[in-house]
Amino acid sequence: MTDLVRLRNLAALVWGAAALMLAVAFAPPLRAQRSPAERAKALDNRIMCMCGGCSEAAGKCNHMGGSFSGPCETAQKEMKEVANRVAMGQSDDLILQSFVQEYGPTVLLSPPTRGFDLWAWLMPIIFSVTGIALAGLVVMRWRHRMTVAPAPRVAPELLARARHDMHGEYDD
Amino acid sequence: MDIIGSFALMLALLAAGYACVAGIIGIRSRRPLLIKSARNAGMATFPLVTLAVATLVGSFFLNNFSLAYVVEHSNRTLPGWYKFAALWAGQEGSLLFWSWLLSIWAFVALFANRKKHPELMPYVVVILGGIQLFFLMLNNFVASPFALVGTISAAGAAHVVRLADGNGLTPLLQYGEMDIHPPMLYLGYTGFTVPFAFALGALLGRYPGEKWIHITRRWTMVGWAFLSVGILLGGHWAYKVLGWGGYWAWDPVENASLLPWITGTAFLHSVMMQEKRGMMRVWNVWLVFITYMLTILGTLLTRSGVVSSVHAFAQSSIGSWFVIFLAIIFAVCFGAYWMNRDYLRTDNQLDSVISRESSFLFNNLILLAAAFAVLWGTLFPVFTEWFEGSKITVGPPFFNKVNIPIALFLLFLTGVGPLLAWRRTSISSLKRNFAWPLGAGLAAGIVAFILGDRNFYALMCLILAVFVTLTIFSEFFRGARVLSARSGANLFSSVGQLTMRNTRRYGGYIVHFGIVLIFVGISGQAFNQNVQREMRVGSQLQIGPYTLVAQNFDETSTANYNASRATIEVFKGNRSVMMLFPERRFYTASQVTQTIVALHSSLARDLYVVYAGRSPEDNTPVIHAYLNPLVHWIWLGGLVLVLGTVLALIPSRQPQIVLHAERESVPASARVPVGVGHGDD
Repeated sequence: MTDLVRLRNLAALVWGAAALMLAVAFAPPLRAQRSPAERAKALDNRIMCMCGGCSEAAGKCNHMGGSFSGPCETAQKEMKEVANRVAMGQSDDLILQSFVQEYGPTVLLSPPTRGFDLWAWLMPIIFSVTGIALAGLVVMRWRHRMTVAPAPRVAPELLARARHDMHGEYDD
Repeated sequence: MDIIGSFALMLALLAAGYACVAGIIGIRSRRPLLIKSARNAGMATFPLVTLAVATLVGSFFLNNFSLAYVVEHSNRTLPGWYKFAALWAGQEGSLLFWSWLLSIWAFVALFANRKKHPELMPYVVVILGGIQLFFLMLNNFVASPFALVGTISAAGAAHVVRLADGNGLTPLLQYGEMDIHPPMLYLGYTGFTVPFAFALGALLGRYPGEKWIHITRRWTMVGWAFLSVGILLGGHWAYKVLGWGGYWAWDPVENASLLPWITGTAFLHSVMMQEKRGMMRVWNVWLVFITYMLTILGTLLTRSGVVSSVHAFAQSSIGSWFVIFLAIIFAVCFGAYWMNRDYLRTDNQLDSVISRESSFLFNNLILLAAAFAVLWGTLFPVFTEWFEGSKITVGPPFFNKVNIPIALFLLFLTGVGPLLAWRRTSISSLKRNFAWPLGAGLAAGIVAFILGDRNFYALMCLILAVFVTLTIFSEFFRGARVLSARSGANLFSSVGQLTMRNTRRYGGYIVHFGIVLIFVGISGQAFNQNVQREMRVGSQLQIGPYTLVAQNFDETSTANYNASRATIEVFKGNRSVMMLFPERRFYTASQVTQTIVALHSSLARDLYVVYAGRSPEDNTPVIHAYLNPLVHWIWLGGLVLVLGTVLALIPSRQPQIVLHAERESVPASARVPVGVGHGDD
């Protein structure tokens, strides 16, 4: 088997392992079921506290320098609404959408995945994919430039000594 | 006294200007004496700015409340140690502090190389002088720390007023770490000026070969280490002071510090490609340029208010100056590159796709992708405001989602890189070296899964952490085993010998191990818990294995603040394990309240207790408890990272080769020391 074929096999193995891991991660039966309280807590950390004074997630509202550093009234109101909607059985997306309707898109702690805001998500992917493609091209180009030159002659006794010293660890 | 400071700053400005202008004339007219005088002027900024800093610090200690900056950031009851911190508490002082650190770096760089590199140093003098000139202009004309408090009489005459007391230092800065965190961060930012000056100087002067890389490698490592420490101390400060149970919030200013760190890390790796193989010359030059530009961009973000940030204590309209400076730097860098691009041309060749070279290439690419993702997320609200007229929020969920996969891939490369040889690695060697660390990592992942870990990223992090740790240890072990077999020394002393023979390589591995520990610590976030509850004396709160019982709520006061304190007894099962005393302090001068977190930290988890104050509804004390697993590993990882960097900075000890009598006939040219790992970074 040539190095290239071995490399392809290795790459296939790595991709297979990665796919398996992803499947394990996202397969529904293996995902831990979240309680309504856990769901509500997770949602509290995806929306901003809209009091205008803290720039924190509602679930982490913490007014530094104020007389009380727990969640302010606005954050408490938001968290209560989240809890109510979770209890009503609404989906995460629907709950977040209701907050967007009430407060506008700034209430979300990460950009929506539509319109211009979609670019927030797309650009890192485009940058990474383009970068990997360019790096691949560069590697191929540099590889192509490589010409086989005769190796300098090494005295056999030096070579034997080096091999002995290395105990075969670096025989490649 | 303040006049001395102002005068020193003005003289420093003149000295920097002279260094820049005389240096340019000296280079063009080839007059060595002029170049020497330019260099001396560049070095003279250090004692002059030091005098200005000493004057300002002295004004804090002497309670000179005729200075506006002292009034704004100090008061009579402020403890002496924090009067140092007051130096960088505001815009004017922090810019002076920046200039001072810059003058220290410039002085050391120019003094250390005063008799070396005669073709390169004149350019370095000019560049360092130009950068100092910009900051000293800000210190003198835009944000002077020596502005006086005064009144204007009805007749129009100005009178200097000396106030009785000042406003005090913001309580957020009245914390021991705040005396160390900003200096470390600023040392990191300013430290990148030196490699930038050498890189640009080498390009402008078409300095032959890879010498500038050798000269600047240590400078870059020192700057990088300071920035690393600064970032970690900032995280630790946020964790212990801000009272929200976290250490990193993806705040724009935090991101600004991370950006040059990421590109600096990329440079420290790709620089080896140029040293070993003469490859990636253009890439390296631009990495240094970008790293420096990102430090300036970070300063711009910190001070301009372009993006919303909790670090709001130093914002002003000064941003436009930094925009102009950034534009000039980019123009100079691009111009220098364009005019001298043939100097950077190199015939890059790659022997094999599976080699250390290609792993460095991908490592650089992924680091750049991470930097881009952070920069893009940080600036995206500005773009939406331009294009859509309204700002959106880009917060932790976005940064986590985008950066965690990138970071995990980088962690994977941290393990792969050292196992690949320069030029070519055979598949069989790859399999042999990878098999058991990867197998052990997967086994650890399976055990964690069986024990109930269902968080995908935490599982991946564990698998990779075990994999990388084992690859690092196997590198030490294999090398030490060879040395031990040859010298007869035991394995532990062989590890020491091996490390000292190639400090850069093995120091780098220790840094990698530090990064692994930091990753493990961060992965603990997936299992954080927190509970907030109103508690009266005798009330209980359960979190994880701990039961917290409120024993007392009392008040104390000092000259600087009044404190409300909770006494919380912590039980594990039925056993009392500790007492915690979270506080809320009301600082009388600044009229601001600050939480003082009570923290019990162990390798497994942190119990983090905040006294949130009294409930606005019924005045009952509220306690917020957090259980944060593995946080301690982050700080431990930081310590290991610093130790590794220090080790890598120590020159390698050359192995002594004594040839036996029968081998003395070997020609001198063939006497190559066969040291394990020697010269192989």
